[in-house]
Amino acid sequence: MASAAAEKGKGPADAEETAAASAARLAREWTTWAMKNAKVVAHYGFIPLVILVGMNSEPKPRLAQLLSPI
Amino acid sequence: MAPPPYGAGLAGILPPKPDGEEKKEEKVDYLNLPCPLPFEEIQREALMSLKPELFEGLRFDFTKGLNQKFSLSHSVFMGSLEVPSQSTETIKVPTAHYEFGANFLDPKLMLVGRVMTDGRLNARVKCDLTDNLTLKINAQLTHEPHYSQGMFNFDYKGTDYRAQFQIGNNAFYGANYIQSVTPNLSMGTEIFWLGHQRKSGIGFASRYNTDKMVGTLQVASTGIIALSYVQKVSEKVSLASDFMYNQMSREVTSSFGYDYMLRQCRLRGKIDSNGVVAAFLEERLNMGVNFLLSAEIDHSKKNYKFGFGMTVGE
Repeated sequence: MASAAAEKGKGPADAEETAAASAARLAREWTTWAMKNAKVVAHYGFIPLVILVGMNSEPKPRLAQLLSPI
Repeated sequence: MAPPPYGAGLAGILPPKPDGEEKKEEKVDYLNLPCPLPFEEIQREALMSLKPELFEGLRFDFTKGLNQKFSLSHSVFMGSLEVPSQSTETIKVPTAHYEFGANFLDPKLMLVGRVMTDGRLNARVKCDLTDNLTLKINAQLTHEPHYSQGMFNFDYKGTDYRAQFQIGNNAFYGANYIQSVTPNLSMGTEIFWLGHQRKSGIGFASRYNTDKMVGTLQVASTGIIALSYVQKVSEKVSLASDFMYNQMSREVTSSFGYDYMLRQCRLRGKIDSNGVVAAFLEERLNMGVNFLLSAEIDHSKKNYKFGFGMTVGE
């Protein structure tokens, strides 16, 4: 009886601990997911971003200037 | 009425100094010292003179400016790259790559990106968040997992000091601080912590420079002591030397070099305590066209590197 009550007392405490631990785990997984995707976005998007910013700076270069070798 | 600054005999020949002019040794205003160079640049002159980008093979760089701030660059390299190896043998890998780059240079924002044919991206961002605070990002991204590196730097520039905080991948954290102590002397410290390897280190650096010479000293808890000295012999000629002692591997390296900055060319040569002789020539053929020659000879390791190239554009 006492052992069952002790187990019951431990039960909700365990569940609460795993709730906090699982929240931390989820946060860690989401930040890892975010960092991985940020890396992919940066890898593919950085050069287009520089070109976009450059083509919109004054005086605006023309598209032909971007693609031609002279 | 101030007495004539030179002897009475010369006073008739030399023009009198105006009264308001300051004497040669002015009183140092310790509250108004100049801002020091950033911590990572204290050895700038020595690095520029002693460490040119030596290469082996053919190099061709073409930079096309689209407007004042924006330019594209195309770069071809065909030759051998040295792979660092543990043994005394140098391992050279023949490589050929084409690198496309886009640069946007604004006083407040600088974006530089270079991408190679194998997908490796080298990105540098420098952004002035406020007048004194600058964010710098430096990243090398690859398609292979776990080989990418990135570093965020926050720089704060004060009146006579600079502070920097760095965050890098693999849980790297670093901070450094440099302060002007006199108009010619600046001293700084740095600490870093590598999370994944649980290593930390602390270092100390100081730089003394006048118009004619620059001397720096760097000591780190990783067991490295580095000294450098650059003497500006004239407007066109600089001599530089540096000395490095690595306590962990008990290695001492010292090199001595010259840097001739002439109107049509820039020639840098150096000789090392390991018996390595190197030279790098940039010859200006025409406006914006530079011809490069690079040579490095290491008889003891039988490593002979000769390269030539051309740079077109600014």
